[in-house]
Amino acid sequence: MHVPDGFLAPTITLPAWCAAAPLWYWAVRRNFGTSSTESLPVVGSLTALAFVVQSIMIPIPGGTSAHLTGVAILAILYNPGVAFVCESLVLLLQALFFGAGGFTVLGVNALAMGLLGPGAAWLCYRALRRLSERGAAFLGAYAGMQVATLAVSLVLGLQHRLSPAYMPVPFSVTATAMMVPSLTVLGIVEGLYTVMTLSLLRKVKLVGPR
Amino acid sequence: MKRLLLSLAFLGFAAPAVAHEVLHEVQRGRAVAVHAWFPDGESLAYVQAEVFSPADEKIPYWKGRTDRNGWLAFVPDVPGKWHVRIVDSTGHGLDTTVDVAPPGAGDGASGGGIPGVAPLAFVLRPVVGVALIAAIFAFLYFRGRRRPS
Repeated sequence: MHVPDGFLAPTITLPAWCAAAPLWYWAVRRNFGTSSTESLPVVGSLTALAFVVQSIMIPIPGGTSAHLTGVAILAILYNPGVAFVCESLVLLLQALFFGAGGFTVLGVNALAMGLLGPGAAWLCYRALRRLSERGAAFLGAYAGMQVATLAVSLVLGLQHRLSPAYMPVPFSVTATAMMVPSLTVLGIVEGLYTVMTLSLLRKVKLVGPR
Repeated sequence: MKRLLLSLAFLGFAAPAVAHEVLHEVQRGRAVAVHAWFPDGESLAYVQAEVFSPADEKIPYWKGRTDRNGWLAFVPDVPGKWHVRIVDSTGHGLDTTVDVAPPGAGDGASGGGIPGVAPLAFVLRPVVGVALIAAIFAFLYFRGRRRPS
């Protein structure tokens, strides 16, 4: 799902950086101060787990691969700001050390996969958790995956419209290629991953009140 | 005389047909081949790709798709930095440059990985990533413990 360097023009990457930078500052100040020290081991473990699940490619028919994000659980357990910072850290490490994604597109990837997706997951979870916590977590993670995927495909589609030299594939093809696996496979697997992680953390009482 | 005229007429029709003949030659070792694959070893098969010459960064020198094994090949006509873009419809892909040496200077393999070690990278990558994240959060944790809120 990561957009690599060179696929988006500065007309998109610069505004994305400008939007993401103050949000990073605000989210770090709000969620990673000294008062949140006790939650850091769990947040760090879930961030590391997100890194691992993003490294596991799920083969998609047609010669491509996709992966989970694994950060909806952070939004559900804490808030979308925590998920945003942690996903941004994962994306930064992937870009700096492993050549996945990229530094210029970090703002776009972080906003789509770290903020919009987890934000949708958090909203969905908050709306439905009184009915069933597990069901709400599953649907939240499923919705978050769809929102993140749609956001990335919309950005790629916009880039194609602005300058096909950067992104030669039109939106209709990109959206279909990204949304079909997301709706049929990835969203379900992300939902299951989120429910399993949530259940495990609740069982060992590592996370705060419901 | 009539036969001669008919023969000339046939030759006249045949001449343009000869002009449409396509000739070919085979030269080995001239092409530059680029292989693209995911960290788990899966190739980017049948993916849209473009190659830009250092002489013209706007109009693609070569355009097509990778083959079943994720390879593309082009025959450079000038030395320099050639720009290769492989764009998957899901937004994954590669945007890199390939150094093409002048003829006779020799040109070795380069790139961001070796297919043979893909399984090793597939395992090492998450391990290194987890170690880095653990180090960052451990630092934050112990720093927070030392500074009471």
